[in-house]
Amino acid sequence: MCHALRAIPSPLALSPRRGGVGIAERDAGFSGAAGHGLRATASSLLLAASLLVTAPALSDTHALIIAGLGGEQQYEQRFRNQATALAQATEKLAGDKSRVTVLYGEKAQRDNVRKELRALASRTKRDDQVLIVLIGHGTYDGEEYRFNLPGPDITGSELATLFDKLPARDQLIVNSTSASGAAIDRWKRDNRVVISATKSGGERTATRFAQYWLEAVTTKQADTNRDDVVTAAEAFEFANRRVADSFKAEVALATEHARLEGRGAERIAVARFGNAVLATSDELLSALYTERAGIERDLDALKQRKATLEPDAYYDELEGVLVRLAMLQQKIDARQAVLRGESE
Amino acid sequence: MIRRSAMHCLLLATLSFCSVPAFAQTIDYDPRRATELRPCDDARYRGRVQQARDCYRRLLETSGNLITQAEAAWALGDVQRANTLFREATSRNDRSAQPRTRWGRLFLQTHQHGDALALFQEALQRSQNDVYAKLGMAQVFAQRFEGQARTIVEEVLKQDDSLIEAYLLKARMDLEEGQLETVDATLDRAQQLVDKQRLPPLEVYALRAVLEQLEQGRRRDQWIEKALAYNPRYGAIFEQLAHFEVMRRRYRQATELLKRAVEVQPDLWSAHAELGANLLREGDFAQARIHLTTAYSGDPFSATTVNTLRLLDQVDKFEVSSTTLQIPSANGGTFDLELRTRLDPKEADVLRPYVRKLAAESIETFAKRYQFEPREPIALELYPNHDDFAVRVAALPGIGLLGVTFGYLVAMDSPAGRATGEFHWGSTLWHEMAHVFTLEVTDHRVPRWLSEGISVFEEWRTGPTPGVVVTPETIAALHENRLLPIADLDSGFIRPKYPDQVQVSYMQAGLVCLFIEQRFGFDRLVALLKQFTKDTTTKDAVEDTFRISTEEFDKQFDAFVRERYKALLANMDDWQRQYQLAAKALSESRWQDAIEPARRAVELYPEHSGPNSPYLLLARALDKSGNRAQALQTLLDYRAAGGWDPGALRELARWLDEAGREREALEVYAALNYVDPLNGDQHIVLGERYLAAGNHEEALREFRVQLALSPHDPAPAHFGMARALRALGDRAASRRHLLDALETAPHYKPAQALLLQMIEERKRNE
Repeated sequence: MCHALRAIPSPLALSPRRGGVGIAERDAGFSGAAGHGLRATASSLLLAASLLVTAPALSDTHALIIAGLGGEQQYEQRFRNQATALAQATEKLAGDKSRVTVLYGEKAQRDNVRKELRALASRTKRDDQVLIVLIGHGTYDGEEYRFNLPGPDITGSELATLFDKLPARDQLIVNSTSASGAAIDRWKRDNRVVISATKSGGERTATRFAQYWLEAVTTKQADTNRDDVVTAAEAFEFANRRVADSFKAEVALATEHARLEGRGAERIAVARFGNAVLATSDELLSALYTERAGIERDLDALKQRKATLEPDAYYDELEGVLVRLAMLQQKIDARQAVLRGESE
Repeated sequence: MIRRSAMHCLLLATLSFCSVPAFAQTIDYDPRRATELRPCDDARYRGRVQQARDCYRRLLETSGNLITQAEAAWALGDVQRANTLFREATSRNDRSAQPRTRWGRLFLQTHQHGDALALFQEALQRSQNDVYAKLGMAQVFAQRFEGQARTIVEEVLKQDDSLIEAYLLKARMDLEEGQLETVDATLDRAQQLVDKQRLPPLEVYALRAVLEQLEQGRRRDQWIEKALAYNPRYGAIFEQLAHFEVMRRRYRQATELLKRAVEVQPDLWSAHAELGANLLREGDFAQARIHLTTAYSGDPFSATTVNTLRLLDQVDKFEVSSTTLQIPSANGGTFDLELRTRLDPKEADVLRPYVRKLAAESIETFAKRYQFEPREPIALELYPNHDDFAVRVAALPGIGLLGVTFGYLVAMDSPAGRATGEFHWGSTLWHEMAHVFTLEVTDHRVPRWLSEGISVFEEWRTGPTPGVVVTPETIAALHENRLLPIADLDSGFIRPKYPDQVQVSYMQAGLVCLFIEQRFGFDRLVALLKQFTKDTTTKDAVEDTFRISTEEFDKQFDAFVRERYKALLANMDDWQRQYQLAAKALSESRWQDAIEPARRAVELYPEHSGPNSPYLLLARALDKSGNRAQALQTLLDYRAAGGWDPGALRELARWLDEAGREREALEVYAALNYVDPLNGDQHIVLGERYLAAGNHEEALREFRVQLALSPHDPAPAHFGMARALRALGDRAASRRHLLDALETAPHYKPAQALLLQMIEERKRNE
């Protein structure tokens, strides 16, 4: 024992009240990095967005889902299962299996990833929507993010170059790997929404985000506005919240804080349920959708004015808009029923 | 994993942490102390402060002995300088034990036990028989209530039977454990040595006063007078007396004594700290803060004081609310009782309804069973941060307790304080509320084992998870004859001799109460408790209540538990083997192979419904084998046996629903609120079920709780509120929540339908 190092601390050093020993720090890092900020942005745009995503898709949706190297059997299996389940959900969204590619195991080697990304770039058009989801482990050495793949890893820079070849106007990249926050700034573009499971490259623990993202697109839980379409914004809110809740339930320090960068997450559909999957060429239904979009815009505008109105006045106006919407919805439902009957 | 009952409330063990200052050395009885310090010491021990200070100051400046200088600096309160001087003394005397022993004492007084122990060990490396180093270690262990303290003291006294401090420490530990018979003789010996060595008798007087206090003797005040005659500023005697009152949970008496301590010795910082802590036990936050701040001003080294002050800053932000309960009384009427809750604002709206409901039920239950009407408001504090709770009850973070009762005040972890599934907060609250009654029925005289025993027993008999749950560790202790005689059961809580002994003692105490109920009838348990409305011992109380000796009681209890666990005790190896076989088969997905061993494990040990229960293995194996009906029955059996794992309960509720047994499912969902209320899953389900059943108030509560959880999707809760309020006739509030639901989810069709219906109705009424 080194006596020279041992000293009774001064009162200042001994007092946790004034900095020193004492009870543990509280609630370090439970809140999601982007959650609250996004909620404010997303909720204000949600209604306007629902118009665009609820209407039948005129453009195609293409997706590439890659499960990287698990390293251990449990991760290998988990990543593979998540990738295949996500692919199934995305096929329903895309309406065509051929537009969804899933890579895992040996097929997820770097050269093949490059090849598939180039192929995706060549088959998508400007009006299309592209979804890319990376599942697995990632690392960050202080300079470069790497997505761990069987064989050589692929770097964040290389992926950025490949992503930049995509012509699609709406792009969503979900990187659910550890350390994924390291790549987010490098990948973001005006026409692209990038979601990462971690806030930076420093969050290196295996993540939970993919599990909850999968839940968001395979159940209706994330569809908070009940329009049968889950948007990237809704799915992000849901998954981000679930990740935080899971750490809280374990009274554990959160080791990941998801981020969302880019505009238009409210516009990008990641799952469709029920009537929303019906594409239609029916003019009457289209007209009803258009009318509904107008009411939704009114609703959105009203919500923007909420803070400036007396509560009673706000709710009176709100009631009026919502009654119009509810009555119109009855017409839409009736028309959809007729269309279903015709198709049967 | 935390066990259901065993960790609920180390009532006195907890309090003892708060009582550390009572051990602070006031008199240095080390005969090796330099003679040049004697005149200064004499003045100090006589309370002649200025004279003592002048004397020490002179020595500090003139003595050529570094240890003497260090002692003088220490006596003057300059611990930094004392530390420097001791460091220098040890570096100059690398082979000497004494400077290290004394330096260790300085660390002991400044609450730095790790450094103190290291120095005592260094001293022993230099002189392996150094009794003063050993005594220093014993003091550390005694302050931590660790069993080695007594062994060391005995060893030291064998080595040298003229050590005053060893006798004093032995007497103090005996007093703490209630072993009063030999204390007098021990103190006589200490007195002889004090007289012979012409040292101050103050600590002997203090312990004699404690003995009188514990034995209800009449001479306590005489010893106080003698001590104050010797030193009018000897506040430590009151602090010692208060320490033992706190040990007996007599907080009001302790407060009075501590007030006298700081009155006669205003700079007795440890007494201020203890007074602050004790006032907190009584719920007087304002006065507590004043004394803790004073303590901090004089002794900034105490982590307990600092932590508690920090906590007070936090607790200031808590929501305090109050409600008046109407409780049925024994005479057929009702009595009013105020229930106060102090909850973190982040979870107050979620927890308040359940806390109030369960507390009201427990008060009604215990008032009837123990024929006692609480005379003061009951206060409940729930802490979402476990370390805050630990500081609240023990002033130290990192303590593995769940709840503590200080009479009419209960403090406990909130459900957020532990990982989901680690504890059943409803059972903890029930357990603590039983303490309120056992403490108050007896004016805090109830011995620890009986208070804990009744709390555990009431969890089993009347709590939210009824069912006798006994841990494998307890069965092992029974198997290995490690249960304690009833007259000595308290020692299992205070100074455990093996790692699980505290938990085993909880279980044993609960089983003793169960035995009394089954062998003599529940009324005899109440009669036993009421023996302690006067000062008595466990031995006398048992003999008076049951008309048998404690030895006979122990014999009958032993026969009872051995009969109860006969099959298990005879097949311990088989039980373990079957359990392991089942677990292994499950881990390999061999569902059929797991069924029989799991079933056998349950048969042999049906009370194993805590963590890793074989019921859960069996239910899973049966379900995976396609036998849902038996799997469901197994989970019902598990729940009836006291099992409450939230995952298992959710599965059970789902299976019941799928089997069309909605009413039973509803009950299981409702039970989840007492183990996992912060999980939003069940509130919407419950709200909808209550609505469907026409139970609108309950439905409203569940939807309101769901909203208080700030859910990701608030629309269902708003919509539920709208319907419940509508059913209750509050149309305006109903409309508002309906619009809130649609504001979030404009395409929410059931809400749209209700909106249109509401508009139609309005038109019709216009």
